[in-house]
Amino acid sequence: MDSKSPYVVGISQAVHLGDASVGGKATNLSKLQQAGFKVPDGVCLTVSAYERFLKDNHLTEIISSELGRKSLDSMRWEELWDAALRIRSAFAKGVLPEGLSTEIGQAIEDLGVDQELVVRSSAPGEDGAGRSFAGLHESYVGVKGLEEVCEKIRQVWASLWSDAALLYRRELKLDPFRSSMAVVIQKLIRRNRSGVAFGQDPRDPSRDRALIEAVSGLCSNLVDGVVDPQRWSLGRSTGKILSSPDAGIPMLLEESDLRAILAILLSLEDLIGSAADMEWTGRKERLVLLQARPITGISTESEDERTWYLTLSPSSPRMKQLCKEVVDVLIPELKREGERLAAEELDQLDTLELLRSIEERARVHRQWEEVYKEKFIPFAHGVRQFGRYYNDVLKPDNPYEFVELLETERMLAWNRNEALASLAERLRGNSRLFEGVSEILSRSLKSNLVFDQLLKIPGGAEFLDEFEAFAEEYGDLAYKKTYLKDRSDLFLKNILALAKSSESSIGDFNQQRRKRDRADELERELLNSVGADGRQEALDFLRIARLSWRLRDDDNILMGRVEGQLLRAVELGREKLRQIQAVDEQEELCRRLADVLETLENKVSTLRSPVLSSEDLEVAAGESARQLVGQPAAPGLGKGSARCIQSLEDLGDFEAGEILVCDSIQPTMTHLVPLAAGVVERRGGMLIHGAIIARELGIPCVNGIQDAVKVLKNGDLLTVDGYLGIVTVGEALLDLETAD
Amino acid sequence: METSQKMQGEVGSLPERIRQLVDSEHYGVLCTQGDGQPYGSLIAFAFSDDLKKAVFATPTTTRKYRLLSQSPNVALVVDSRTRSPEEMHQIEAITVTGQAVELESGQEFDKWAKLLVDQHRQLKPFVEADTTALFRIDVVRYFHVTRFQEVRQWIPNLPM
Repeated sequence: MDSKSPYVVGISQAVHLGDASVGGKATNLSKLQQAGFKVPDGVCLTVSAYERFLKDNHLTEIISSELGRKSLDSMRWEELWDAALRIRSAFAKGVLPEGLSTEIGQAIEDLGVDQELVVRSSAPGEDGAGRSFAGLHESYVGVKGLEEVCEKIRQVWASLWSDAALLYRRELKLDPFRSSMAVVIQKLIRRNRSGVAFGQDPRDPSRDRALIEAVSGLCSNLVDGVVDPQRWSLGRSTGKILSSPDAGIPMLLEESDLRAILAILLSLEDLIGSAADMEWTGRKERLVLLQARPITGISTESEDERTWYLTLSPSSPRMKQLCKEVVDVLIPELKREGERLAAEELDQLDTLELLRSIEERARVHRQWEEVYKEKFIPFAHGVRQFGRYYNDVLKPDNPYEFVELLETERMLAWNRNEALASLAERLRGNSRLFEGVSEILSRSLKSNLVFDQLLKIPGGAEFLDEFEAFAEEYGDLAYKKTYLKDRSDLFLKNILALAKSSESSIGDFNQQRRKRDRADELERELLNSVGADGRQEALDFLRIARLSWRLRDDDNILMGRVEGQLLRAVELGREKLRQIQAVDEQEELCRRLADVLETLENKVSTLRSPVLSSEDLEVAAGESARQLVGQPAAPGLGKGSARCIQSLEDLGDFEAGEILVCDSIQPTMTHLVPLAAGVVERRGGMLIHGAIIARELGIPCVNGIQDAVKVLKNGDLLTVDGYLGIVTVGEALLDLETAD
Repeated sequence: METSQKMQGEVGSLPERIRQLVDSEHYGVLCTQGDGQPYGSLIAFAFSDDLKKAVFATPTTTRKYRLLSQSPNVALVVDSRTRSPEEMHQIEAITVTGQAVELESGQEFDKWAKLLVDQHRQLKPFVEADTTALFRIDVVRYFHVTRFQEVRQWIPNLPM
């Protein structure tokens, strides 16, 4: 190693370069070593190496393009994830600066050929007062050989731009463009005991006690949450053991070990000037410090958010467990719950029973909302984890190629679209029925009258049977405050529009088969690349991703059903209330019902109803949008009249060939997508519901268009460029300029 | 390390943002045409407070003067690329369309000449020269581009 290299320095020298050049972790390790603590041998790649890598590979431009498309504040987490995936993909293909890999090779050789290594992030300003990036930037354990080390270095650099790191910086109001990254490469020390220790109990710093946690094997097992540690607390001043793990299990540490660790904690405190937390491995004289830093308060709000971001990338064992729970228990339970509630004959209930039913439904709904946040969303990340894994292994040109491996499962929405297509086919094959339905709908009758009229037309009864079965199966959804089953005439309008269009079938069998063949081909390619050693891991990732992919749609539909059932009861409750109020407003039951409905009012009004705009939009007189930029979510070019979905009627009025403009595609409107010439959504992301459906059907989609529903109006001529992510409003005329 | 999430000038209504841009950038490319051939010239300009008019000057011996006398339809492109040359998404630009009207000496001429010279002191002798023509652009429309390809338009003289 060249001692004057701007890119690689020994750990012992790092302290002289300072935090801005080598980052917090390297500085701390260097200080510890200087103060006589044992730390693993290693080197540090300076920030200059990272900056040179960015420059050589034009990555700054790529990052700016990804994050400059719109203001960072207005990007949803899905959009940030997409940007992060593409940035990571660009980093993976980057070439290391000339000479740097030679220097790294030399450093690795100095540490010992065949030596297992650890590659760790060390971002400047990473662990400042009151904030901690612990876990947000990546570190890798057990890395071997130059090629693998270089790959991990690129991944550590890229982790500066991970979705979680970007979200956390946004929360702390730190400019990601001013962030940088150094990397520490150290010998991996394998000892049979490891752990973390805190000079003060971070949960209650006022108490005079220190905490020590230990696990068998590597410390990363504890930090990643793979195993639960044994925990002791000790009096700081007395050294007395205040609490120990439950008796009956073999203790990982002896009293002398605990005292030795406490002594280190206290001398660290002298060194850094405040209570320390440390990661350690080994016992007695073989104890080595892996990391030490001042304790950051872990009960602060931002820490809580960091914890939530971290749950979005669960460790493999946790993901497996989550998968089992969601697939085997929660989804069937949610399905049963929806069916149970639907089966209850609400109109037979007396007031008290109805009141109880409303309360129960609200409770059930609340409970499932929790499950949605705590389980379904993290599980949906199974797809995203697989995406990263797949891209790391195969480095494909298209960072979304992995999706082709997943699209083999039928979704509920797919079945529904087929059922709609079948009904449209019936209309198309029976001209009297077709004309009859058109005429009836043009008279804007209520659903029940529509049905009476239909029965009079030849073929009407059979059509109606199939239609009712359809509404029963798929109408169990609510849009804004209305329960769709009560407005099945809207579905009828959609079926008519579908019958008028040339779209014959949505579930093309050959297309399905082609997809399956492609998925098989990519799966073989993946398994070949990982070899026998990686096979099981790859299959596990793929299995979870496929289940997660399928459920990301099903859970929305099933949640929609439970919501629909809450709304159904609330609607009946309101009706009942009006009846009672007319007779006796003071009655106890009447007051209780009114109270319950009032408490639910807020909830019900926001239920699944699209958030049309997050902020007030300032529009001057004479101002209009000409070209809007979002994310190219499904390729293709489509042109048509805008239909902005803002009310239930818009759902029914949707005509074939229009551009579907909405906040986000909800289960209540997926069946409109096959009719659309293009889709424009406010909510952005390549893996969100609308984008997936549009890609499945080959319909151009641009999403992530801020204020889409507000800026665009029904009837606007829109051109949706799903290749570039651009929506153009109107024709490119200069009529105003050339008019006389 | 405080962030500035909004881009430069990304504050206020569209007319305000246009105002900020023409206040900070004093030169732009004037597009003229003749015989089916477009032609571009760098010019110094000034805009009226209400952004409905702009003013520039040109020697009468120039190609652009000849083209302007053939067709008054012009476009003017103003952009902020010098502010952030390495950061494409930070660049803001406007394309102004409208008609150029040559001003004869008199009150109108003096008013617009003053506006231009107030903005560009060094141009005083140029504007006052006998062989210089002063043009007012009557703006029809602004096309405002940010973040590479986000485009909004503004018609300052919206017909009532």
